[in-house]
Amino acid sequence: MNIIKAGSSGVLLPDLNIEFDCSGTDGGHTFISHAHADHMPRSKKSRVYCTAYTRALMRERGFEGTAQVLEFGTPLDTQRARITLYPAGHILGSAMVFVESERGNVLYTGDCRIPPSPASEGFALPGRRVDHLVTEATFALPIYKWDSHEKLASEVRSFASDSLKNDFAPVFLAYDLGKAQEIMQMLAPLNRPLQISRACYNLCKIYERAGFHLGSYETYTSSTCEGKILIASSHALNNGFPADVSKKRIAYCSGWATGTTRFVGPSIDKMIPLSDHLDFFELIELCKGLRPEKVYLTHTPNASVVQHYLDNLNIDSRLLE
Amino acid sequence: MSDTFRQWAEAVQQIAEAPDTPVGITRCATYLRSLRTDKGLQLAARFLDERIFPFRSGKRVAVGSRTYSTCAAEFCEIDYEQVFKPCKKALGNAPDTIEKLMQNIEAARDRRSSAGLSLSDIRQNYERLSGLSTRTVKKTLLKSAWRKMTPVEINYYIRLMRGALETGLSSQQLASALAEAFERDPSRVRHAVTITGRMGRTALLCKHDKLEEARFFPFHPLPPMSASPAKEAEAVDLTRYVAEEEFAGLRTQVHLSGNRVKLYASDGTEVTGPFPDVTHFFLSRPIPDVVLDGVICAYRDREILPGQLLRKRMKMKKKRPGADMLEQYPALFIAFDILYHKGELISGKSLSRRRQILEKLSENHSVPIASQFDVRDRDHLKKLFIRSLSHGNEGLVLKLRESAYETYGQPSDSWINIIKPAGSLKTVLMYVHTENGKHGRRHTGYTLGVRVREDPRYEEEFIPIGKSGADDLGDEETKRLKKRIRDLTVEKYGPTLGLIPEIVVELEFDDIRLNKRTKANYVLHRPRFSIIRWNSDPVETATLKKVENLYQKKINQNRLKQDENPSFLIHENYTSTKD
Repeated sequence: MNIIKAGSSGVLLPDLNIEFDCSGTDGGHTFISHAHADHMPRSKKSRVYCTAYTRALMRERGFEGTAQVLEFGTPLDTQRARITLYPAGHILGSAMVFVESERGNVLYTGDCRIPPSPASEGFALPGRRVDHLVTEATFALPIYKWDSHEKLASEVRSFASDSLKNDFAPVFLAYDLGKAQEIMQMLAPLNRPLQISRACYNLCKIYERAGFHLGSYETYTSSTCEGKILIASSHALNNGFPADVSKKRIAYCSGWATGTTRFVGPSIDKMIPLSDHLDFFELIELCKGLRPEKVYLTHTPNASVVQHYLDNLNIDSRLLE
Repeated sequence: MSDTFRQWAEAVQQIAEAPDTPVGITRCATYLRSLRTDKGLQLAARFLDERIFPFRSGKRVAVGSRTYSTCAAEFCEIDYEQVFKPCKKALGNAPDTIEKLMQNIEAARDRRSSAGLSLSDIRQNYERLSGLSTRTVKKTLLKSAWRKMTPVEINYYIRLMRGALETGLSSQQLASALAEAFERDPSRVRHAVTITGRMGRTALLCKHDKLEEARFFPFHPLPPMSASPAKEAEAVDLTRYVAEEEFAGLRTQVHLSGNRVKLYASDGTEVTGPFPDVTHFFLSRPIPDVVLDGVICAYRDREILPGQLLRKRMKMKKKRPGADMLEQYPALFIAFDILYHKGELISGKSLSRRRQILEKLSENHSVPIASQFDVRDRDHLKKLFIRSLSHGNEGLVLKLRESAYETYGQPSDSWINIIKPAGSLKTVLMYVHTENGKHGRRHTGYTLGVRVREDPRYEEEFIPIGKSGADDLGDEETKRLKKRIRDLTVEKYGPTLGLIPEIVVELEFDDIRLNKRTKANYVLHRPRFSIIRWNSDPVETATLKKVENLYQKKINQNRLKQDENPSFLIHENYTSTKD
């Protein structure tokens, strides 16, 4: 099977005329795994397939092309292949793309997470053989191993409660899409009002339409933020929100919050390694469980480490670059 | 029940994660108060001060980064090159990496079982480690210790061995934590720590309300008193001060007791070895037990020689310098203060009183002492300053007559430094050094270069000439510099950023020194940003040739002989050699 990289995030199966996470080409079938900016098509002319919620989220984030909805588990047949989407557990709407063809079966994971994010539709693998696994390996080192969702949720709630108790505004630094909603779910049992950015607010409405309870929230205003829990992206922190809150405690929520060394920018009081990606061990287990002919690694600065482990398991692999 | 190392390690982690220093001090105090035994308290406090053994024991644990890193890789059954090193690169340091690997990797988890090691167990383990010499046996001992530890314990066991706990608390802040823990007067606790140099002993005195029993003993270097910068001089009443010349030499503390003498540099490291002539001088006289603060100068034919020449002596760290070296670069210790005399710590007495004792000592035993000058007015101050420079010295130190010798805290206006920078040069910013802290990555230093484009000895365009901080730039300028650095960064070598050489910086410095280990063969001593020349072109930066010329000029500078109005008083019968 010919599998190649296109641009920074895209992957192509030229023999089958199939493309993943790129703006697409004329006559190709383009599938978008989820609505994060580095996977979303940018061109107005793009004609893509994705899940209903990915389409809604992409629209909210400025996608102006044409997106045709493909439901999880409902196959799409092209001349050369049959394509089915499976839930990836990464964020709302996120999907893995399973391609069956005479040249072999390919599973493209996009970004995925096992166990799935509670703010997603879950995770499921196709019940058929995977010959070629194209997977992200963002956290491709054995220093990355996530704590259970329950433990992380308790950490998030404790940080918020302790900060409020000491008259500090708890600020969670997290992406507007996916991570923010997961944190909001975690905080909902506290029954405390939350303030978020306008962009995040609009995305939350889509999550609520999908049936996720995110607690009581509103958009941020500096005059009313006192006594409330704030969620912001680290980039927003440098641009007003919530830089003007003087008494605050900041928690950085990301897989990169492992250890104490990642450069974030502002002063961080707490690092919470909450990730919506596979950790290293989950990645190796996924490969081991599927035992494909070959694993293709994308989105990783440390492919050689994963390859070293896969070699020991006699699983052939290569970095897509 | 004994106090465990696990509790200690977890407490240190909590202190390190404190949002600010007061919270860190309180967390530290809470932990210290919770300790059950005196032995536990003593060891916990000493370990928090990053000392495994008492200072005077002279013992140390010598385990290098490669030893404990490869040992951890073997323990976890991972490949050192292929797995450990990328992990360390991602986290930025070995102890945190080892903690994560010990926690995450099944093989490592299976090998470990927390045995609740006590602080005394850990002390004994380090004791055994200090006696080992080969890497293999050290690794065997490390592995057997780690088998009984949790990942956090292993992290802090390594950090303590490296002397890099990174709690964010200085010794004086630890003293504040002790004061808070046992409700004692913080200034008394800080004083006790300073004079004993023993955090563990001070903790016990503090707990049992016996701080008055804290005693100073020679061979524990006291923190040297610092002078504040010259701007303070503009507002002071000069009649309350005396002036001494700021000598071009090595700030040194001499500890003499019985028939032992040791010399310490200002950072507390021992420098007895390179100066047998100085030690012989003190041992050849019936001088009572004393601790003197002063400076070692290269001195010959009634002339203070350039301070750079002493560096040749300093290179002889362990070996005794030969007769040629002693003759070519004769060293002379000039005392300017006395801190301990005949069994009594006298640093708390006024400068005038200490001076009387020092003069008496000098009179009886021919110890060279710095001259003190009364300052009549600002014109007189200027004259004294010019005379100091013509002696080959660096300027003046104004000293308040009634001041005590201050061994901790920020420099006050008790001592004021008036020095003239040796010069300034236009340089170009080549590398930025960064460090990971709990508040993210920050710039810790800047390597600056001079131009060698037209120099046939080099192929490069610029080569490094010095490494500086940039503390006095101000917020706006710092922000602008950071942004420009982001734009110009083209390479990363671990924590160091390589830049396109475009930012021109005017550097002030105190000295130019020969250093054969550098590409330029010269380094600027104490370089500091004077101004960033945003509009200057890198071709305007100084050449290496210019640096070489400045160095030669300094070496060949005519120096006023120590005849009339000398910088220091030396007795006619002074001799450092055996009769």
